[in-house]
Amino acid sequence: MDIDGVNEEENSRRVQVRFVTKLKPPMTVPPLPIAIPSNLTRLGLSTLVNNLIQNGNPDWNTQPFDFLIDGELVRMSLDKFLLAKSISAEKILEIEYIKAVAPRKEEEPSLHDDWVSSVDGSDPRFIVTGCYDSLARVWKAAGECTHILEGHSDVIASVGVINRKGVEGITVATASKDCTLRLWKFDTEDSINDPIRIRAFKILRGHTKSVQCVAAQNTGDMVCSGSWDSMIKLWQTNDSQSDGDLVSIKKRKGNDQADESQLEGEAVSTLVGHTQCVSSVVWPQQETIYSASWDHSIRLWDAETGKNSSDIFCTKVLNCLDVGGESSALIAAGGSDPILRIWDPRKPGTSAPVFQFSSHASWISACKWHDKSWFHLVSSSYDGKVMLWDLRTAWPLAVIESHKDKVLCADWWKGDSVISGGADSKLCISSGISVL
Amino acid sequence: MKIKEEKKKRQSVRNSKSEEVQEEQPSITEQNKLKQKQLPSHSDSDSDSDPDYGSPYVSDSEDFSEDGDFDGSLSDSEAGESESSGDEGVVNSDVDDGLHNDQENQSNSSESHQGVEESDSSEDEVAPRNTVGDVPLVWYKDEEHIGYDLDGKKIKKRTRKDKVESFLESADDAKNWLKVYDEYNDEEVEVTKKELKLITRLLKGKAPHSDFDPYAPYVDWFKWDDAKHPLSNAPEPKRRFIPSKWESKKVVKLVRAIRMGLIKRDKPKEEQQFYHLWGDDSSSTEKANHLSFIPAPKSKLPGHEESYNPSLEYIPTQEEINSYQLMFEEDRPKFIPRRYTSLRSIPAYDNAVKDVFERCLDLYLCPRVRKKRINIDPESLKPKLPSRRDLKPYPVTCYLEYKGHTDAVVSISIEASGQWLASGSLDGTVRIWEVETGRCLRVWEFEEAVKFVAWNPLREIPIVAVSVGQEVFILNTGLGDEEEQKKIKELLHYETPVAPDDSGDKVSVASWHQDDKHEGIRLRHFKTVSSVEWHRKGDYFSTVMPAGESRAVLIHQLSKKHTQRIPFKLRGLPVSSLFHPTKKIFFISTKKNVRAYDLQKQKLIKKLETGLREVSSISVHPGGDNIIVGSREGKLCWFDMDLSSKPYRILKCHPKDITNVAFHRSYPLFASCSDDCTAYVFHGMVYSDLNQNPLIVPLEILRGHTSSNGRGVMDCKFHPRQPWLFTAGADSVIKLYCH
Repeated sequence: MDIDGVNEEENSRRVQVRFVTKLKPPMTVPPLPIAIPSNLTRLGLSTLVNNLIQNGNPDWNTQPFDFLIDGELVRMSLDKFLLAKSISAEKILEIEYIKAVAPRKEEEPSLHDDWVSSVDGSDPRFIVTGCYDSLARVWKAAGECTHILEGHSDVIASVGVINRKGVEGITVATASKDCTLRLWKFDTEDSINDPIRIRAFKILRGHTKSVQCVAAQNTGDMVCSGSWDSMIKLWQTNDSQSDGDLVSIKKRKGNDQADESQLEGEAVSTLVGHTQCVSSVVWPQQETIYSASWDHSIRLWDAETGKNSSDIFCTKVLNCLDVGGESSALIAAGGSDPILRIWDPRKPGTSAPVFQFSSHASWISACKWHDKSWFHLVSSSYDGKVMLWDLRTAWPLAVIESHKDKVLCADWWKGDSVISGGADSKLCISSGISVL
Repeated sequence: MKIKEEKKKRQSVRNSKSEEVQEEQPSITEQNKLKQKQLPSHSDSDSDSDPDYGSPYVSDSEDFSEDGDFDGSLSDSEAGESESSGDEGVVNSDVDDGLHNDQENQSNSSESHQGVEESDSSEDEVAPRNTVGDVPLVWYKDEEHIGYDLDGKKIKKRTRKDKVESFLESADDAKNWLKVYDEYNDEEVEVTKKELKLITRLLKGKAPHSDFDPYAPYVDWFKWDDAKHPLSNAPEPKRRFIPSKWESKKVVKLVRAIRMGLIKRDKPKEEQQFYHLWGDDSSSTEKANHLSFIPAPKSKLPGHEESYNPSLEYIPTQEEINSYQLMFEEDRPKFIPRRYTSLRSIPAYDNAVKDVFERCLDLYLCPRVRKKRINIDPESLKPKLPSRRDLKPYPVTCYLEYKGHTDAVVSISIEASGQWLASGSLDGTVRIWEVETGRCLRVWEFEEAVKFVAWNPLREIPIVAVSVGQEVFILNTGLGDEEEQKKIKELLHYETPVAPDDSGDKVSVASWHQDDKHEGIRLRHFKTVSSVEWHRKGDYFSTVMPAGESRAVLIHQLSKKHTQRIPFKLRGLPVSSLFHPTKKIFFISTKKNVRAYDLQKQKLIKKLETGLREVSSISVHPGGDNIIVGSREGKLCWFDMDLSSKPYRILKCHPKDITNVAFHRSYPLFASCSDDCTAYVFHGMVYSDLNQNPLIVPLEILRGHTSSNGRGVMDCKFHPRQPWLFTAGADSVIKLYCH
């Protein structure tokens, strides 16, 4: 089969391939085997597929594709890839193509007054950022700040959105270096030009050192927090005073109408086990809490009993942790070295990471799984880069270099954007990433 | 053989003597001749061997000493004798005559003595008809002949008589009993009457001749009076007549040696046929046996350029030859290669004599000394160190930098939990940093350059002691939760005493003040404070004023706001002070020595002699028994307090001053930083087993700082919980090296 527009080199070898895809009809090509030069790279394959699509659909806008052979992304020329993986070039090769994962648009950076320490994009309606000026901000879009959460007396180290079922409005938890956590409530319907300043409805005291991280249970009833006092504490998020679980609920400025009432909460339970600063916690399932610490360990906790169920030991200090991927079981963590490691706790008897990505040049400050994809990760590092990873290749899919200084946090937003904040006081949004 | 030679000598001497005697006194010989009848033995001795005694003895002894063939030589000597005695006309002229002739000779009265003498010596002297010589007659047993006569003709055997015949013969012949069978000549000989007489006399033990007088009067033939040379009259000693025991012993020894194979007579010693001129003398075993032998150096062998027709590349161009003239004579090449068409056309070498002369000078003027070269692989001398990979973790790479100071960072300190970092700089600021992100949290500004910062070792009291000029500030960092802050504020609250009563002595040393500007306490000292060290419990801290002389080291108590001098006498300029990590021991390092004092008993426990020119820094192992000391000359000393007061190891790593040394609190690591812009990380394992010495392994050189005003890295501190190293540089940057 002869395809016009394909640069054929007479002297190069040819391989029989067939392009398949799981993409929707406008992007499909006839599943017929064609002979292509074996020295084609990803770019060549991409133009080829675009041409094929254009043949059937004349008003098709070209777009980059990525190619999978036997579940592995092609990152070199086709013949080299076949040689490296020792795949026979004799039979018809089945190449699956997917949309290339790379940011297509760089939004205008949202400026902060100080370093952006944390960011949460788990709610597609808005972004919450924590800042070194001890304020948390809520952004509707790039450069559109809707709310300012004020009340902390020190740097906000971590923010987390709480998805509470059956509660209208939005609840946000923030952890700060002033040893407290605060819970905030606001509505997204407010669309005023000036950002609204809000005070916390609940202050959670109990940590003796700065709180480093906060994570909410998926039902939204509880949050857990890790601190420099090497403890993990679990807190209730409800605001009703009638809740009997809370030991002491004080109404501080109840009489004052101008101020909203502020509740104080104490920890429901404390998970003790780490010996150093707990740098990151996640609570993906109802019953399990994952925590990463500076004592080089990742611990799994039973949320009900507070028992430490299993440990994974790394040799480095861990700064960030996320759980996701295949059946939401893979643990990705980064720390005081440029290597992003991924463990599979289901694998018995080994504590060696199953994947290691080492393209960064400095400490890794954040890593997040894509919440829909099994394969995609975003990581940020002190070298000022945000990288997108696919488990099916050892090279980063894309490198976002929008920051001038250390990147302190990164997250996915709306499933197709990467948000990151850094020491250059900017919140950068890279959108148009077609993961699925 | 030697004996023989000696005898010969003796004989020759005697002969010459006798000759002399003969010359002087010819009459004696005549007399001698006259006396020959009486003394038959003397006739021989005159001409041949011994003047005094009978020859048979002498000849016997001579022959004995000769190897093996006794009989042959004897017969030779006899022949000689007979020849020499020819002048006297005593020769057996007719050999063929046999026994009869002899008998006739013997019957002659004048010459009978010879016959007697010869018959004495051996039976073979009977005039031989047979010439086969002294061979066993068995050889001829089966032959028809018994031998050969003088003409070479066979002598036939006579027919043998059988016993009956011989018996009859003996019975017939009355004289048969006188007959003797001569086996040699195969004939029967009849003994004459004279011979019979001789035999009977001999049987009686008398002299064979009746006319021989054994007791003849002694005639002194020698005329003693006119003799020129005195001659000994002493009788011949006995030992000349008995066989030598020593000789026989020697012979036995030799025989044994030959039998045992110790003496090998078969192989003659091989001698080197030629001299290996170009060989390496040093390797020749023969000469190397001599310890003192040092072979002369060989002269250089001629190379290609010395060839009469060298390749073109060896031949210098004219320019080069000209340039040789400009060179010093010593540098000038001695030989300029040239080409010749044939060997014949080569001229004589001008410098031949000179070269040989110089070579000779070299050979004997140049002292040759044997150099002892030790053939040891230098690698094998290195101590076996564990691999660096096994000693992980240790700081390797710099990932974080803390930037913000505008001048050299002089001192850093890390909070006990490892979350915060305090740094003091020459720009007069103290900054608090977040270790994790490199964020500068807080800045205090002072009028003077900051010398030293030190966190309180307690995690609950996040306060920093800062020395600025003559003052020490205790600063509240504002970290920690509210309760802690409350405590700290109480601690740092100081009310100036209303009545300045005790301002006499103590105030002059150090005075406490509340400092509102920096929200802390200010301690004013009377001299510049160089360092501040906290006690592990966070209440006491010590300050060092190098110029303070006897009051140079002070100990302050924060809770009571009280200052006291140390109760010890200080010797030398104090550099820094330290509290023991566990015991009540206080270390003060002066420029030369480190002293350990017991604070409870208030006495000196130990003095460590560093042997360094100027101590710059000191650090104590968390176990408390090991101390490292850095010096301005770049040396680092490790002291094992239990072992000795001398350094256990001296590490010379830095080419420039060591500015600080540090131990890690939990990992077996220590580090030193220097003005050469590097920091060294070592593995320093201290074993709880007292028999095992500490293991020190250099691990890593940390580079990255740049030099500024000749200063490099000013301070280094380990992270209290992680194997990380912070270094503060004169380039106003603080770096964090991670594993």
